Amino acid sequence: MNPAMWISKTGVQAQDAKLQAIANNLANVNTVGFKRDRVMFEDLFYQVERQPGAQAEDGTAAPTGVQLGNGTRMVGTQKVFTNGSLQTTGQSMDVAIVGNGFLQVEGPNGRPAYTRAGQLNLSPEGRLTTALGQRLQPEITVPVNAKSLTIGENGVVSITVADNAAPQEIGQLRLTQFVNPAGLLALGDNLYQETGASGAPTEGVPGENGLGKLKQGALEGSNVQVVEEMVDMIAAQRTYEMNTKVLSAADNMLQVLAQAAR
Amino acid sequence: MDALIYTVMSGAERIQRAQAVHANNLANMETAGFRANLEQAGAAQVKGYGYDARHLAKARSDVVSARAGSQRDTGRDLDLAVEGEGLFAVTQDGPSGREAYTRSGNFTVDADGTLRLGRHAVLGEGGPIVLPPHDKLEVQADGTISVLSNGQPELQTVDRLKLVKPPFSQLTKNEAGLLVTRDGSTPAADPAVQVAKGKLESSNVSAVEEMVATMNLARDFELQMRLYKAADGMADTGNRLVRE
Repeated sequence: MNPAMWISKTGVQAQDAKLQAIANNLANVNTVGFKRDRVMFEDLFYQVERQPGAQAEDGTAAPTGVQLGNGTRMVGTQKVFTNGSLQTTGQSMDVAIVGNGFLQVEGPNGRPAYTRAGQLNLSPEGRLTTALGQRLQPEITVPVNAKSLTIGENGVVSITVADNAAPQEIGQLRLTQFVNPAGLLALGDNLYQETGASGAPTEGVPGENGLGKLKQGALEGSNVQVVEEMVDMIAAQRTYEMNTKVLSAADNMLQVLAQAAR
Repeated sequence: MDALIYTVMSGAERIQRAQAVHANNLANMETAGFRANLEQAGAAQVKGYGYDARHLAKARSDVVSARAGSQRDTGRDLDLAVEGEGLFAVTQDGPSGREAYTRSGNFTVDADGTLRLGRHAVLGEGGPIVLPPHDKLEVQADGTISVLSNGQPELQTVDRLKLVKPPFSQLTKNEAGLLVTRDGSTPAADPAVQVAKGKLESSNVSAVEEMVATMNLARDFELQMRLYKAADGMADTGNRLVRE
């Protein structure tokens, strides 16, 4: 059968996967702390054929051969950890990480998970949690009589109570960073988990050792750029189309062949 | 048996292989740093009894297009693109330890800090580049990588990318799709090659060229099939002549 058909098939499949990633990126344009996915492709292995019989005019063996590629394949998706734009919200429970680092939370399977979405909330017991209720690590409990809450650039959380003018320190938020954040496993819900590829987590105080500072009253927006995604989408769609054209050309060739050999 | 039908067969076979080359180029239109394979037709003379006019067609494709692809801004620190001519050096699969070359600059760092392109380690001046834990990474135009490590006030140079510039006519693809030199030699680093950070070079496949070539080949194939029928018709006529 015509190998061009299977090769084109890999191209069509790859573009299909790319469209899926683009759709997901666009859907998350307004997700706080979202990092866009980028689909990476690689050419499949080549059949390198040497034709030992092929001799050049002057009798020397020419180094001619055929390298038939087998198409393309998706190597994987890569989270692009560029910073999203900061949105000022004015809410005292919102923190944005300006720079590298993740907040550590208690993950869904008991293992630590990491997030950059800083919409903090209070659990019924007064503990700081993410918007979805995962507890921040180390745990910080806000007393019931707290009047206002301040989070410093270095993560120190302090409160004031009604009958005391002096602020009272109740804990410190810490940040975690990885050698290769792109290797983190995206769990959904804005959470990431450590993998063999990401390297071990290193924890530290915000603003030190290359960790980002915390900014109270702001949130980090999604780093998806709509125009870029739209252009990518057009390119993917047209590439899809052209690959299907080759597919039908290959099909036509087979049809002509079948008609010729009655 | 008439030789025509075999000549036609070689032509049709050549077209199918050429079609595969173009299909592969089009499938890789979105593969960063991909270099298109060029496809050529060659003639192979059949020696022996008969006229000296029998040349079978053979597909050849071991030359890679040297045209530069367009650059896209990505903003990612470890996306590098070679400006003008030149190639990155990476390790090949297997124990051979030979170098391979590529235009693809979508590098990642693995858990040990080794700079990688997919599964291949990226080579610097003294072997694979290993990055220390860092907060900030800078790549200068000449390929020098420097990082700002924990608590250090100044950038520290880690290594310099090995950038080479062998003539493209000396390069061919290996099974993994990386470029290697035909004679197996290792070109020396070329200090004149420049890289740009935060950019990726896209594939250099020209959609127009590939589509036109595909159409052309499909029509060529039809022509071969006509000749196939003509050869069949001639043989048929011969057979009838004997019968009558």
